[in-house]
Amino acid sequence: MTGRERADRRQALRLLAPTLLALGALTVYPGFWVVWLSLQHRVPIFHVARFAGLDNYVFLASDPRFWNAARTTVVFTALSVALELALGVTVALALHRQRRGRRLGLSLLLLAWAMPSVVTAKLYEWLYHPAAGLVSVLLGGHALNWLGDPYLALPAVILADVWRTMPFVAILCYARLVTIPAEVYEAAQVDGAGRLATLGRITLPLLGRIVMLALLLRMLDALRAFDIMFVLTGGGPAGTTETLTVYAYRSLFQMLQLGFGSAVSVVVFALVMGVAWAYLRLLRARAVVA
Amino acid sequence: MRRVLLVLWVAALTGCAGSAPERGAITLVFKYARILGPADPLPGLLREFEAAHPNVRVKGESLPWTSDEQHQFYVINLEGRSPGFDVMMLDLIWVPEFARAGWLLDLTPRLGPGELRPYFPSTVEAATYDGRVFALPWIMNVGLLYYRADLLRRYGLEPPETFDALVRQVRRIREGERDPALDGYLWQAKQYEGLVVNVLESFWANGTRLLAADGTVFPEPERAAEALAFLRGLIASGVSPAWTTAADEELSRRAFGDGHAIFLRNWPYAMDLFQARDSRVRGRVGIAPLPRLARGPRGAGSTGGAHLGVSRRSRHPDLAVGLVRFLTSERAQKALARGAALSPTREALYDDPELVRSRPDLPALRALMRAGRPRPVTPYYLLLSATVQPEFSAVLVGVKPPGRAIGDARLRLTHFFGALR
Repeated sequence: MTGRERADRRQALRLLAPTLLALGALTVYPGFWVVWLSLQHRVPIFHVARFAGLDNYVFLASDPRFWNAARTTVVFTALSVALELALGVTVALALHRQRRGRRLGLSLLLLAWAMPSVVTAKLYEWLYHPAAGLVSVLLGGHALNWLGDPYLALPAVILADVWRTMPFVAILCYARLVTIPAEVYEAAQVDGAGRLATLGRITLPLLGRIVMLALLLRMLDALRAFDIMFVLTGGGPAGTTETLTVYAYRSLFQMLQLGFGSAVSVVVFALVMGVAWAYLRLLRARAVVA
Repeated sequence: MRRVLLVLWVAALTGCAGSAPERGAITLVFKYARILGPADPLPGLLREFEAAHPNVRVKGESLPWTSDEQHQFYVINLEGRSPGFDVMMLDLIWVPEFARAGWLLDLTPRLGPGELRPYFPSTVEAATYDGRVFALPWIMNVGLLYYRADLLRRYGLEPPETFDALVRQVRRIREGERDPALDGYLWQAKQYEGLVVNVLESFWANGTRLLAADGTVFPEPERAAEALAFLRGLIASGVSPAWTTAADEELSRRAFGDGHAIFLRNWPYAMDLFQARDSRVRGRVGIAPLPRLARGPRGAGSTGGAHLGVSRRSRHPDLAVGLVRFLTSERAQKALARGAALSPTREALYDDPELVRSRPDLPALRALMRAGRPRPVTPYYLLLSATVQPEFSAVLVGVKPPGRAIGDARLRLTHFFGALR
């Protein structure tokens, strides 16, 4: 290593330091702290603080409320993300074909996305109102007990979430569509490709990467979803809409079980990391194939 | 205006001329949830306190909107030892918890003899932990039965004393009215704190409770199961609508206020809205105690409301206690009852001629308040409540039999209580 290289390296470290320090202070340190908390029985306001080893995790393994929350989280994530992607891509394609009113369409999409999820939840609370709700009216006056039925509550929450986040996917995809050069389509037309072939062979493959990105971002978000169910149903009825983050929140801030609540949070963290890791591996494998 | 001038004048006298006039001025921070009502009398009351204490400034800071967030706010700030406030408005279910944590100033040594006597006994019980008093009762609430007096009169019925009678009356009136949009009995069974309140009331109505004096949870599981089964039966048989399982206070209050129900369980605040000028049930609503079940001596409403406590980290405990005393005084409570339609914690005000003129339901409320019972007074109340909520909800939506839900709740609580020892 020449002196010049060494100086370069030092300079690089100096430039990186602020970021590393900030990340360390804001992410790594609290992260480790939560893991450490999860290994304790800790209820500070009752002056309980002692090492518990894996007690909290052992209890979680046999805790039906935890498994229920885990199942709810997975179902919520799978269904809402799948619907968001399908609808988002469709809306982006429709918007792209549109000749007029694109700007208006985009603004409306952004509006739904920009709304805080608590506001969305409140909005849907009215839409789902058993007697006066718009949803019941649209269904021809069939007053379904959307938020109070153990089989309807989760779909109702998913629907509200899809409405809110589909625009995010749509806008990402739309941005990609705009950048596909017109020549590609012209060439396809010259070759005699029909609409379906163009869609299947050109548009969708070119959208692939951005859809993968949207998939990752949306999945990570959905796994940590909190506000929408917290406000709409509070996790009920019968705990059917209680996700892991809602369970963690209740354990931490209501039951004040810092150790136990941290254990639930660690599981959420592991889940999110697992998804991110699997995703990165998948991308790498693809890159190799390509 | 004159008062402002007076304060300025006093401030000028006490502050050294020429130097910072603010020196020596004390600021008390009062955390409270914004009080809804026709006219919020609180700012005026705080100014009044300031006028009586010339070197004190009271800063009212509002708390987050929901009870969950308020609790979270207090826990984070108090656990983090941040002394950012002196006087706290507390949901009465938090008082023992905060007292146990050592966050509240023990008011016992500062109380004069008989100072607590004017308050409803149940409010004092809720403010007491381990024989010491940690807060003064400020705003009172109690669960009660609203009924459509016009409908009951039409069928020659009296407000029901038992739930069996209530169910019979619902059947009778609905048969007679032939109105498919008329529901029977509305109450709250969404999975939240209100659900626990409703279930507790059914336990008391059946002569049992959730937490015995010796700390046992579900001391008589069969009676508790019976009460839960009865509540589920109300929904299953259609006496209460299916959406009861998604109902909170407001959802059920609106339906009743629109004239779509015969009976409603709710808090006293609803009466004001029912009697509002544009209300569809104005002049047609009566109040009664909650009915009892087969094995209970009588029904009782759960109490609720707010207490005022002083942070143990307050730097001006004497002044802070003074502010609490002032705000809970008869004068201040009267102003709150008149301006914001809140119910006082002092029994005498319920027969105050001036108040009764603007709120004719007060004398009837008095007996209900007196009979009200607090939710389990324990530092573990929120743990208890958050644990039983999904279990009770599961029974009421019909996916779990009562016995099993009680067993599951017990198992979880035993685990958590074990870790607390």
